[in-house]
Amino acid sequence: MTAHSGQPGHPGQAGQPGRPGAGPVVYDPVTLPADDNVNNYTFCVELKGNEWFLQKGKMIAYYGAIEFNGIGHGRLDRLVRTSFHSPLHASDWVVASGSGKMLLADRAFDVNSYDLDDGNLTIRSGNLLAFQPSLALKQSIVPGFLTLIGTGRFVAASNGPVVFMEPPIRVDPQALVGWADCPSPCHHYDHGYLTGVLGGLRALTGLGGVSGEEHQFEFVGTGTVLLQSTETLMPEQHTGAVPPEPGVPGSGAPGAAGPAAGLPRLPGQLGDLQRRFGL
Amino acid sequence: MFRLQGSKVLAVEMAGDAVKAKNGSMVAYDGQMAFKKLSGGGEGLRGMVTRRLTGEQMTVMEVRGHGTCWFADRASEINLVTLQGDKLYVEASNLLATDAGLRTGTTFTGLRGASQGNGLFTTTVEGHGQAAITSDGPAVVLRVTPQYPLSVDPGAYVAHQGSLRQSFQSGVTFRTFLGEGGGEAFQIRFEGDGLVYVQPSERNTIAGDV
Amino acid sequence: MAFREINSKMVEATVAPGQRLFSQRGAMLAYRGEVTFTPNVRGGQGGVMSMIGRRLANEDTPLMTVEGSGTVFFGHGGHHVHVVRLTGDTLYVEADRLLAFEGTLRQGTVFLGSQGGVMGMVRGQVSGQGLFTTTLQGHGAVAVMAHGGVIELPITPQRPVHVDPQAYVAHHGDVHNRLTTALGWRDMVGRGSGEAFQLELSGSGVVFVQASEEKL
Repeated sequence: MTAHSGQPGHPGQAGQPGRPGAGPVVYDPVTLPADDNVNNYTFCVELKGNEWFLQKGKMIAYYGAIEFNGIGHGRLDRLVRTSFHSPLHASDWVVASGSGKMLLADRAFDVNSYDLDDGNLTIRSGNLLAFQPSLALKQSIVPGFLTLIGTGRFVAASNGPVVFMEPPIRVDPQALVGWADCPSPCHHYDHGYLTGVLGGLRALTGLGGVSGEEHQFEFVGTGTVLLQSTETLMPEQHTGAVPPEPGVPGSGAPGAAGPAAGLPRLPGQLGDLQRRFGL
Repeated sequence: MFRLQGSKVLAVEMAGDAVKAKNGSMVAYDGQMAFKKLSGGGEGLRGMVTRRLTGEQMTVMEVRGHGTCWFADRASEINLVTLQGDKLYVEASNLLATDAGLRTGTTFTGLRGASQGNGLFTTTVEGHGQAAITSDGPAVVLRVTPQYPLSVDPGAYVAHQGSLRQSFQSGVTFRTFLGEGGGEAFQIRFEGDGLVYVQPSERNTIAGDV
Repeated sequence: MAFREINSKMVEATVAPGQRLFSQRGAMLAYRGEVTFTPNVRGGQGGVMSMIGRRLANEDTPLMTVEGSGTVFFGHGGHHVHVVRLTGDTLYVEADRLLAFEGTLRQGTVFLGSQGGVMGMVRGQVSGQGLFTTTLQGHGAVAVMAHGGVIELPITPQRPVHVDPQAYVAHHGDVHNRLTTALGWRDMVGRGSGEAFQLELSGSGVVFVQASEEKL
């Protein structure tokens, strides 16, 4: 149950135009790959009467007779019931159906496909571009993340190529794309920095600054952690609201952890962290 | 002679000849180079007037000399196009450099311009020689034949060549159970024979929203 | 040695006891093992004089010391990363382009204008990065960032290279720098504009140029 890249080795390398002199590779509906990368930044989906879910605004071109519908209307209702198990922001997604080939891309970010084989993978909502309806998309307990469960292929974007890491590892929150089969994503704070006389002094005066690395996400156990190559976040995509119940993270209900509680503060403003460590 | 150094830097070797390039796109050179500002995209007064009217902004310089000159534009990917008497249509902002022998002009493209809200005119490049066009991420070159028409998001369109007809097509119906959306998105449909350059990124457009 | 390029935007560094690294603050992506990250007040080595130089130069890019034992992954801002290995010579680089470098390298600040006289002094204003440039000297590796990746252009005595100051990333070797302007260039960009100059590098060495006229 691991997530792996849709194409072994380096996705899309084969599609890169041979340079120099050879001239660009020209594609037509026959030579475009089926459900695979055209280059590192473009993915081609082949439709043969089946459907794909995609985030609005990610289709750049298509051949053939493809219809795009907002999700949840008419005959697609059944599909949505089985694939969308949460009150996601429905208007952010469209269903592509018909036959032909379509190209997906996202602001020239790196694009990769992943196969899940009866598995699960949790991904930052802004990074998910498209997925096959055989996968079920659910909100993660971790706010801002979505979980895909089942068997099928999905396409995700990242700022710089995705690097796969094995736990144990500590990850900068902004560099985290997602994780598969890892039961234990948790927060890790640099105690040595926050505590002690020097830490207190730093907190009081702001002198010395912070390194920006006082807080990480820690993964232990078995599984795979997906990391992008820069700490520049992709813009968030709404995952939809969660029921306002106690005990539900992000719901804002009494007893629930506030959405910002676990987030790192600005440098020099450790806020409740200082309280937590008695500073 | 145009040559790519990596995918984002264009190296042009010159032996007394000249190249037209986007103003300010020179990042380095060796040898002796002289730079000259060309007004109105290099096609003289008439072109300048057309540009004033159309709002297609393109400031161009002419570089002439002996040696190698390197060009780049905000880390954009560069695609080389060889023209053999045919015509290349390209968004003015995506044209990085052309052989000095190529003619550049402005053409009315109608609908696509309207959908982008950034003018109704596109730059054309004509003649025999090489041109370098930029794209946000490496462009995918797609062939259009009578059997295989192509629909392109206006925001991802970079350039096209050949004999192609463009039309406006509304692609998506947003009928959601939440009653959200409701808007229609548009694509440009290309029919005929030719090549279309598409970038893996979308400029902000008024209508392209799939 | 200490840096391994994972892909065009990410490097892996090994830290061991006694082998510390310096890196730009906030550029750590992930790490394994027991590694600590301490902000540098002094900006690496160099003492008080260097610090004053830095303040003047506006080159007080915040650095942190990376110590311990383990592996650390660095990347920053979606910029391309280029690893330069130094074998005793000096690398001149704008401080905010430094992603990480080995602790074995001596860090300093130089006044680039000293080479080119009055014209050279303008150089800082041209690129808006101060009159001073960071130098790294010794044996070790440096990870440098650039917008859109870099190309390496060799400089030979017969073949000086002119670089747009905005696109200049770093250089090393026995190289002299001065400001020049090409024929017609000033008419084009406008007289009196700082962009009217190019950095001329002559001697023998290598200059790194990025694929963009935008500073970091």
